[in-house]
Amino acid sequence: MQEVTAPPRVVPEPQPKKYKSSSELKKRLWRNKLLYVMLIPGVLYFIIFKYLPMYGLIISFQDYKPYQGITGSEWVGMKHFSRLFTEPDFLNILANTLILFGMNILIYFPIPIILALMLNELRGTFFKRFFQTLVYLPHFMSWVIVVSISFVMVTMDGGIINELLAYFGFAKINFLLSPGWFRPMYILQVIWREAGWGTIIYLASIAAIDPGLYEASRMDGAGRLRQVWHITLPAIRGVIITLFILKIGSVLDLGFEHVYLLLNSMNREVAEIIDTYVYTAGLRQGQFSYSTAIGFFKSIVGLIMVMTVNKVSKKIGEEGVY
Amino acid sequence: MVEDRTFSGRLFSAVNFILLALIALVTVLPFIHVVAGSFTTSAELAANKFVLIPKVWSLEAYKFIFSTNTIFRALGVSIGVTLIGTLFSMFITALMAYGLSRKDLDGRRVFNFLVVFTMLFHGGMIPTFLVVKELGLIDSYAALILPSAISAFNMIILKNFFQNIPEGLEESAKIDGCNDFGILFKIVLPLSLPAIATISLFYAVTYWNTYMSAILYLDNSAKWPIQVLLRQIVVLASGMDHSATLDGTVPPPDQTIKMAVIVVATLPILMVYPFLQKHFAKGAMLGSMKG
Amino acid sequence: MTKKSFTLLLSSLLTLSMLSACGGNNNKEAAATKDPGASTGTNTTATTDPAAEPEKPTEIKIMLPLNTTDTPPDTIKNEVEKLTNTKLTYQFFPADTYEEKLNSSFATGSLPQVTYLKNQTTFLQMKEAIKDGQFWEIGPLLSEFPNLNKLKPEILNNTKVDGKLYTLYIGRPLARQGIIYRKDWADKLGLKAPANTEELFAMAKAFTEQDPDGNGKKDTIGVVDRNELVYGAFKTVSSWFGTPNNWAEKDGQLAPEFTFPQYIDTMDFFKKLREGGYMNQDFAATSKTDAVNMFTSGKAGLYIGGSMQDIDSLNKDLIKNVPDAVLDTHSMVAGPDGKFAQWMIPGYNNVVLFPKSAVKDEAELKKILKFFDYMMTPEVSNLMYWGIEGTHYTVVDGKAKATDNKELIEREVKGFKDSVIGEYETNGMYQSLNVLPGRIHAEELVLENVKYGVADPTAALDSATYTSKGVELQQIIADATYKYMYGQLDKAGFEKEVENWKSRGGAKIIEEYNAAYKK
Repeated sequence: MQEVTAPPRVVPEPQPKKYKSSSELKKRLWRNKLLYVMLIPGVLYFIIFKYLPMYGLIISFQDYKPYQGITGSEWVGMKHFSRLFTEPDFLNILANTLILFGMNILIYFPIPIILALMLNELRGTFFKRFFQTLVYLPHFMSWVIVVSISFVMVTMDGGIINELLAYFGFAKINFLLSPGWFRPMYILQVIWREAGWGTIIYLASIAAIDPGLYEASRMDGAGRLRQVWHITLPAIRGVIITLFILKIGSVLDLGFEHVYLLLNSMNREVAEIIDTYVYTAGLRQGQFSYSTAIGFFKSIVGLIMVMTVNKVSKKIGEEGVY
Repeated sequence: MVEDRTFSGRLFSAVNFILLALIALVTVLPFIHVVAGSFTTSAELAANKFVLIPKVWSLEAYKFIFSTNTIFRALGVSIGVTLIGTLFSMFITALMAYGLSRKDLDGRRVFNFLVVFTMLFHGGMIPTFLVVKELGLIDSYAALILPSAISAFNMIILKNFFQNIPEGLEESAKIDGCNDFGILFKIVLPLSLPAIATISLFYAVTYWNTYMSAILYLDNSAKWPIQVLLRQIVVLASGMDHSATLDGTVPPPDQTIKMAVIVVATLPILMVYPFLQKHFAKGAMLGSMKG
Repeated sequence: MTKKSFTLLLSSLLTLSMLSACGGNNNKEAAATKDPGASTGTNTTATTDPAAEPEKPTEIKIMLPLNTTDTPPDTIKNEVEKLTNTKLTYQFFPADTYEEKLNSSFATGSLPQVTYLKNQTTFLQMKEAIKDGQFWEIGPLLSEFPNLNKLKPEILNNTKVDGKLYTLYIGRPLARQGIIYRKDWADKLGLKAPANTEELFAMAKAFTEQDPDGNGKKDTIGVVDRNELVYGAFKTVSSWFGTPNNWAEKDGQLAPEFTFPQYIDTMDFFKKLREGGYMNQDFAATSKTDAVNMFTSGKAGLYIGGSMQDIDSLNKDLIKNVPDAVLDTHSMVAGPDGKFAQWMIPGYNNVVLFPKSAVKDEAELKKILKFFDYMMTPEVSNLMYWGIEGTHYTVVDGKAKATDNKELIEREVKGFKDSVIGEYETNGMYQSLNVLPGRIHAEELVLENVKYGVADPTAALDSATYTSKGVELQQIIADATYKYMYGQLDKAGFEKEVENWKSRGGAKIIEEYNAAYKK
């Protein structure tokens, strides 16, 4: 265990063997018939509840009226897309969305991994379980609650944090209304609510690691940090990459509720993201087609991102999600 | 595992412990505030905003929410939907995940891609509503389960876990005369307990949090799950509904009631995790079998 | 099948006996006013001619927003059914997500026979569908229903679409807004209710600086406001300053309120309040609950812009925290020119529609309208608004006094309250018996306000651009208004935003409203 590189991985990309004739393919299909039977319920589900309703995307090329239905609504081509792209604030909103997403990836994403590794290094089952349970609690508080508790703590009008600042002779800080504080508040709330919950998948894959590996490495005199680096981390690399790829797909899809609750007239220049824009410009005004068109745009960007990252991940010898 | 008794090992443990204790404290304080808030009076909450230990204890909030049977009924619905939904979802998700985890399956990349695709593209609320309606599911509990029976995310994660099971085990089972179903249920599932526990938890929490499907698909309010009640009270009490009129809701429901409902609606699902936690350790079995 | 018809027969018999039982039980006021409605209510042929077959109860499905914590039990509904010979199915959906439910039900043709909207905004969004003929026009039928016919024509007019009536309205007083303030603080500091905006400012200042709660600490503020320009303090104060209600004529053309100098004056007023620390600093991010809490916890002295009738509930919460607090209401605040003005709503806060997809023919529509005609009798409107006499309220001096068991009312009655058609002048229901002096004062002020009322000239007008982009455009103005009040925009900057509003669609709205106005 002297070299610093990760242990060699034993995941060669095992594509189905190249078949020479169609009879060989048929044979293999027949041998795997039970596997296909297993896929039936899932495939049916995806067809009925996911693919069937996708005709709804058509309305992004229409001026959809609920009472006229898709067949009766007028076709308008790319009108809604060009409206989005020519919206004066579009670039700003896109930039805000990308910055928040970037913070999600760069700041938030590693935290559950680190937290899971720390939890795993705790000695004693009791503490391990106790801390795990505590850190996963916040996930069960809705954003409304998280934001309203934050409000009580940081408001200029008697919030605890500002009272403390004043008590120690510092100037009060306008957390809620200043554009500079929006992003830090946002990401802190995301970390607070989701980090503990995010550890669960990692803890489960750590649990699947062969204890023998640690044993052997200790024989070699490896310290704790070293074991984490050489054994634990490589073992959960696959799941990290999978989660990363899936997360990348949500690049423009940050969710509406959290940001909307933090948004106000004073911080809109940094806080308006695509999802909050859709809410005001689309849903609240009954603009079905425009909302759908924006959703379509988000999906396409997400798809491009996922396909790119998936490709890269396969290039560097990782599994990828498909 | 044997305790590491070197100095650096102990230092590592101590630092790690202290850090985690701090993190746990920060995460749990707001929660304590909510619980404390549910056991005090609204006057105390107003006077002393971030209450952690109430000076005045009161059960009024709980008396209020338990004074009708609505909350019991809603909890019952939620527990039922969560239990049945999780079992059903796990079953069909595991079948699909296992099928797609087998590397000798032709077309698996296409299937996988089509699953990922559904995470990115959605038909929207109205077309999905129509499907549910055409299937005759309106006003039935099945409408809370079927439309979200498989989460693409969960399926992919589970598939990932299955892929990590050494193929040798499956091969030997095959030689012993097991068919694919046998392998899944006798070999793969028992070896994947941490994964099963994780994904079950994810499903359970999703079903527990069912809100929008209930509003859209259930016309009979007697069938509503707990989240509808919870959200209604929280939104009214937080004054964050975006339906501003002069009418509004003055007074909003007491903050104490809001907190009591959060406690009641969260406790049951919180208890699931410690129960599943013990399965995380069992995964070690996999390693020992391999070795 | 036979069992079903048997039950039906039984229940109609039961209903009939209830009906006649109630007929003799008319309460005093109903008897005194002797509406024609009350008589039509009991005048079914069945009561006069016992030999005739009792009419089958009309089955009606009703969808409406839920503004309480829980759907009400059937207590009230059962009574209403007895009085109106109906079989009612109420489907409540949380107000917060009501639009989603409304839209998906509408798009899939599953709206029930009676569809309540949520507010004026949802009504605006439905207008296109209404014009397309998706809902029954009821205007020509109203005259057949003596009680419905009493609905106020000016308000019905505000709800017309292209000059035709499709809806029944849920009435609200035209101008309930004003100030709820700490009378005890004002008395202590020797201040009178502010007669003009200057005195209002002085009061806010004194409430902040002169330690009105006498605890020796400077821990109070004058005004508490929230992140809402219309139903918060801003619009109410702006109308005192003489700003028009949304739109007004300027050089012979309709122009939006924020192009008037009085709008700028109002922003200056709030800017000075904020800079002086006489109002909550975070008002642009403060929710209604947080604002109300600041008032009821005894931190703030002036709550402006809400309905003055809310004084009862504010008082109830305030005296829990500050037992010797005294509240009063006030709304006669003159502008810098010495004149009074109060903005008015169009007289309703919600409407009911009758989808053609659910109501098959005019005969069925008439049966449903019959139910609403009953609803506008004192018996039914009192039942739905106040509850069951003796249980939920008692009658004192011809007014309704709600029981002290507020939870019971919240639970069993309040859900139906917001669905009562008309207002007390037209449906004959009791007014509330008020005890709190501030509330009695409020009722006087609500009537007084109307004398100086300023109506929105666009209330009955249509603008396609406003319907599709109004919310989004309004946000430009709201943002600019807040930024101005926080000192981040000057007058030139604000005017630039107004130009921005115009170029992004506002100019079209001006054009469309003016075109409709001239007609």
